Amino acid sequence: MKNRDITLHINGEEYRLNVAVNRTLLDVLRDELGMTETKYGCGTGECGACTVLVEDKAVNSCLTLAATMDGKRITTVAGLADFGRLDHIQQAFVDEAAIQCGYCTPGMVMKTASLLAQNPDPSEAEIRHALEGNICRCTGYEKIVKAVRKAAETMPGRAAAVEPCKEVVQ
Amino acid sequence: MSEQAIVGTNAPRVDVRDKVTGQAQYAADVRLPGMLYGKVVRCWEHAHARVKRLDLSAAAASPGVVRVLGPKDVTPKRYNSSVLDLMVSESMHDMLGDIDDQPIFTEHVKFQGDAICGIIARSEEAAERAAAKVVVEYEPLPVYLTAEAAKAPGAVQFTPEKPGNRAFQLPEAMFPNNALGGGDVEAAMREADIVVEDAFYVPKQKQCQMEPHAYVAKVDSGGRLTCWTSSQMPKLVQRKLAKLFDLPMNLVKIVPTVIGGGFGTRLGMISEPQACAMALAVPGHPVKLQTLREEDWVISPSRHPGKYWMRIGFKRDGSPLACDARFENYKGGYYLDASGTAFTAGAWLGGMYRFPALRYRGESYFTNQGLTGAYRGYGNPQTNFVLEQLIDRACAGLGADPVEWRKKWHKGVGDDGWCPGVTYPSCALDECLDRGAAAIGWTEKRRKYARQTGTLRRGVGVAVMNHTSGAMPMLLEHTACTVKLNEDATAEILFACSDMGQGSHTALKQIAAETLGFPFEHVQLSGGTSDVAGFDIGAHASRTIYVGGAAVKKACEEVRRQLCERASLQLGVPAEQLDIRDKRIFVQADPARGIDAEAITRAGVYHFVDPATGEPGGVPGQIQGYVSFFAPHNSPPFGASFAEVEVDTETGEVRVLELVNAHDIGRAINPAAVEGQLEGGIQQGLGFVLSEEICYDADGRVQNNSFTDYKMFGPEDMPKITTILVEDADPIGPFGAKSVGESGLVSPVGAVANAIFHAIGIQFTEAPITPEKVLKGIRETGVRDYGSIGGGR
Repeated sequence: MKNRDITLHINGEEYRLNVAVNRTLLDVLRDELGMTETKYGCGTGECGACTVLVEDKAVNSCLTLAATMDGKRITTVAGLADFGRLDHIQQAFVDEAAIQCGYCTPGMVMKTASLLAQNPDPSEAEIRHALEGNICRCTGYEKIVKAVRKAAETMPGRAAAVEPCKEVVQ
Repeated sequence: MSEQAIVGTNAPRVDVRDKVTGQAQYAADVRLPGMLYGKVVRCWEHAHARVKRLDLSAAAASPGVVRVLGPKDVTPKRYNSSVLDLMVSESMHDMLGDIDDQPIFTEHVKFQGDAICGIIARSEEAAERAAAKVVVEYEPLPVYLTAEAAKAPGAVQFTPEKPGNRAFQLPEAMFPNNALGGGDVEAAMREADIVVEDAFYVPKQKQCQMEPHAYVAKVDSGGRLTCWTSSQMPKLVQRKLAKLFDLPMNLVKIVPTVIGGGFGTRLGMISEPQACAMALAVPGHPVKLQTLREEDWVISPSRHPGKYWMRIGFKRDGSPLACDARFENYKGGYYLDASGTAFTAGAWLGGMYRFPALRYRGESYFTNQGLTGAYRGYGNPQTNFVLEQLIDRACAGLGADPVEWRKKWHKGVGDDGWCPGVTYPSCALDECLDRGAAAIGWTEKRRKYARQTGTLRRGVGVAVMNHTSGAMPMLLEHTACTVKLNEDATAEILFACSDMGQGSHTALKQIAAETLGFPFEHVQLSGGTSDVAGFDIGAHASRTIYVGGAAVKKACEEVRRQLCERASLQLGVPAEQLDIRDKRIFVQADPARGIDAEAITRAGVYHFVDPATGEPGGVPGQIQGYVSFFAPHNSPPFGASFAEVEVDTETGEVRVLELVNAHDIGRAINPAAVEGQLEGGIQQGLGFVLSEEICYDADGRVQNNSFTDYKMFGPEDMPKITTILVEDADPIGPFGAKSVGESGLVSPVGAVANAIFHAIGIQFTEAPITPEKVLKGIRETGVRDYGSIGGGR
């Protein structure tokens, strides 16, 4: 198997790595770097548990070859908290009781970060649509949707601009 | 204690900061120095076959391989990965018929995915490459996918202990005529004016917990085997592994890891035997065994599918006379949990309505499907799908309102629950029905949707359920709990029952803080490893709060008693006249008189002689409370669900518009956590009735072992959800609490089926009710107005 030298910028730190070209970003994060905060759920891009941000976009790290990530800025859920201080998305998930077993949570939080970067004021329908690729088996999504909405409302610097959640007729 | 300050609040969850930052350690996250990687080689080609030849030589020579293990390289002993054998007395073993029929590596493949051999290598990749070099030759055997096929004369026998491939039937010694119930069903049916009857099929549903099973196992220099696992029953797994590997229990240590969802799949063991067999082959070296999702799908037990026949007789006035039912469920290739669901499906049936005569027969047959075992609800959704549809069919024939009929005939306080002799101490099902009906707009919508035109037809339906709070009296209900006070009057609680992610450890901490009269933040609760924590039967049967909470409360009451006794010596007031609030022990009649708990705990630990007086200060000894608790009763929860659906009569698609889940949970210790259980339950209940089923091809190979091909309700599929917590404190449960862990998924099943019946006048006997089945039903009978239907015969 061929290897390739790459540089990854993960959660603000630079990592110079020599990776086999068949290694996924998830493998490299978990097995080579010990960053176990990103979860393996299916390995086929169906569940979203392995979601990380590449630049500001959510990707399934299980479907992404690490060798193609040279020079990229990667954020995992561990990169959101500021040395023990939760960011607004994490805080919203805690406040809204949106976490049960927690295994989908890192992916859900990163998908939320990606959604809010593109759409800082999503409707309930837009939130549900954005989360379609992230499976949760515990919550029925009810409190997760509320948490995403709360994260939008509490986004630093945006709180004033966002209206409180409007009920969306199903 | 007068008012409750902590119980009933949404106290902050103890585990969520770790989970939201990624610091929570699940089994797959465990990394140990020098770790090796295991891979189980499985049979993917066949669901039933004999291994004719197994050649491990090429695999053993593959780069990075440390050991290869075939059936002869591990203990020849067999095991039963479930735990019912440990939960009943020895004298009951014959009746339940539990057998140890699972080998670590098999030479008789009984389902697709059965384990053939194991590889231990220096990396996961090396293990997988070696696995591909294992040579296995099989002799295919006939594949049996249904009970009919498995019990046919001449069928290959799965195990000599169960002739005819019948794994279980209700035992004659406990259930005369192999039936649960009582009264003369046949005579009662002859008196009936209306009889409703049908044969149903209930589907094989997968738990789909988000964390695939993973293990780390290691044998240390002292010969102790340690296994890191997310089993929800660490103490029983310790005993099972000790028995399998002939080790004393002190040489088996279980380290419970954070559970990434369970829903039954972590009840007992899955691949702990294989992981530990590998660790025993390389003493001193930890071995990690990570199952892939597609592998997890076939090796972990799923919900029991099968045929469920039922008939119910009524008088013209609506009074039920008799219920006769038979559930013939399809096991996988091994025995585990064959007795459990076959019994409980009938138990929930018996616990629901006042049938003067009841006859329920439950049987389990081996098949070459994937394994079946515990899944949240444990037989209850199967019964709900059948019973609740037949009740509505009868209501249509009787001209009865389904809500009013249920209010009149459901069992309640004083009636026998699911086990005769264990009566219901509380029941607020009427309030669930009233509040649920109001929330969905029952009266108006039932009238409005009774006559419709057009392609899209709407309907509303209701269903009720009873469940359980622990498994007393059927199964052992035992939990030990230790509460130790630190010298600064903070409490450390050791309690082995796992938090499945539902928030139980938070709620238990609330119960402890409330009982002690300590702030929530001054109580710590740890599950502990098996060598440190006391006995606990495990987190199953919705027992953690009702039984575990009572154990925690009792242990804390003991600590409280000791505190008050010591305070009484100083205050000169009898202990029973003292109270504790915010860590201050005070005289109830004169709250200004009191002493800080910390003064007592400090003097108990740092017990010095006062140099001025020459006397020791305070009472010596660290305060500890310990209880080995056996649940005295069982207070089942009740629930009512209401669904509104829209059926597209051209595509057959059923859209659930709203789901109201009203549950009588006694008392919500942590309301947000309770809501979370009911909301999550809805997602799984909707899946059972509308979309989820594991499918097999004719050769017994699973066709949909992925999240793409197995359809769960996603965020956009979910309806508007309303949860209603009906709090009518149970006289026995801790602070009035009953259970909520499993029950939320049960009655949405019947409610949706009945809403479809209301919308298009058709009942479906096979779940899940997919668009194909809806279209077929419409083609066969045409869409009918509910208002024009008569049910029964």
